Amino acid sequence: MSSNPDTLYIKGERDVEVTKREVTLGDILSFECSNKALIPKVKALKILKIPENGQKRYVISILKIIACIHAQYPGVEIRNLGESDLIVTYENQKTPGMAVHLFKTAFVVVLTFMGAAFSIMAFNNDVSVPKLFDQIYQWVTGIKPDGITIMEISYSIGISIGILVFFNHFGKKRFSVDPTPMEVQMRLYENDIQTTLVEDASRKEEELDVGRANHPGGHRA
Amino acid sequence: MWAEQIILAVIGLSSGAVVAGGLFAFLIELGVIADFADRTHTADHLLLYEDAAALGGIVGNLFFLFHVPVPFGRWLLPLFGLLAGMFVGCWSMALAEILNVLPIFVRRLKIVRYISAFILSMALGRGVGAVLYFFKNW
Repeated sequence: MSSNPDTLYIKGERDVEVTKREVTLGDILSFECSNKALIPKVKALKILKIPENGQKRYVISILKIIACIHAQYPGVEIRNLGESDLIVTYENQKTPGMAVHLFKTAFVVVLTFMGAAFSIMAFNNDVSVPKLFDQIYQWVTGIKPDGITIMEISYSIGISIGILVFFNHFGKKRFSVDPTPMEVQMRLYENDIQTTLVEDASRKEEELDVGRANHPGGHRA
Repeated sequence: MWAEQIILAVIGLSSGAVVAGGLFAFLIELGVIADFADRTHTADHLLLYEDAAALGGIVGNLFFLFHVPVPFGRWLLPLFGLLAGMFVGCWSMALAEILNVLPIFVRRLKIVRYISAFILSMALGRGVGAVLYFFKNW
């Protein structure tokens, strides 16, 4: 085995969820190797054992994974094409009930609806939009407006157009193929969280890395 | 007469569109709704939340400008107040977060522990401020 000239390519996502306590390399990485027989053997290598109660989230350095492969197959040349630190989160199989999920969704829907309604009213109130309408109306026509004018109506249509163009969709109907601003925002948020987790773990020296004796679950069974 | 009406309509339409773009960019880019989706683990309904925000903006504006009477308004009012308060609270914290207020204070004042107390007192301060503002009629 030691004179194995194969090159093993590995690639991992930065954030992986596992549902088993015994985490093997195949659970968190994808592999490519010209020697096809090697792949399943490497996939079955155990990297982490998550204890019954305790930490559910681990940050594993790619060096630890390479060391784990080298321990069994010392001659293999490994090329990492993915992330250099992987976040492994153990997620309990039981998912919260559909009713809870629906309730939470309904709550956020009502919250955003009323929040957005409040924001636009607060804005209109803050900059005195109705007063401004009266002033513009009087400036253009020379007549003092009474009640609702064309300005209120066209402003309301403009608001609707602006919002729908900004969000880029209504319901399931998309106006263009781009992701919506909130989908982008959500990914950015997730990215920030992942970066924080990795850097926190490495700063607190909790990352599972080579040359450290800290493997709470015992990295290989 | 007609020309004037058309000019007014164009002004109204374009100001509406630009205001909507600005206000909603401010709302979305601060990540308030993305936060909600993340906290409740319901990111799969993100598009629904966008619809709710869009509808809220449109309907809220209509109610404000045309003084439409709301059915069961008396009962909806406390709910509206509560949720609007929560929304604005999250929004103002998101604004503080994006401007890095907290990290800068923590670094300058060398606060290492009790950051949660710091945050709690910030929230309490905001609450007390709101109560004072309303009860003193400022």
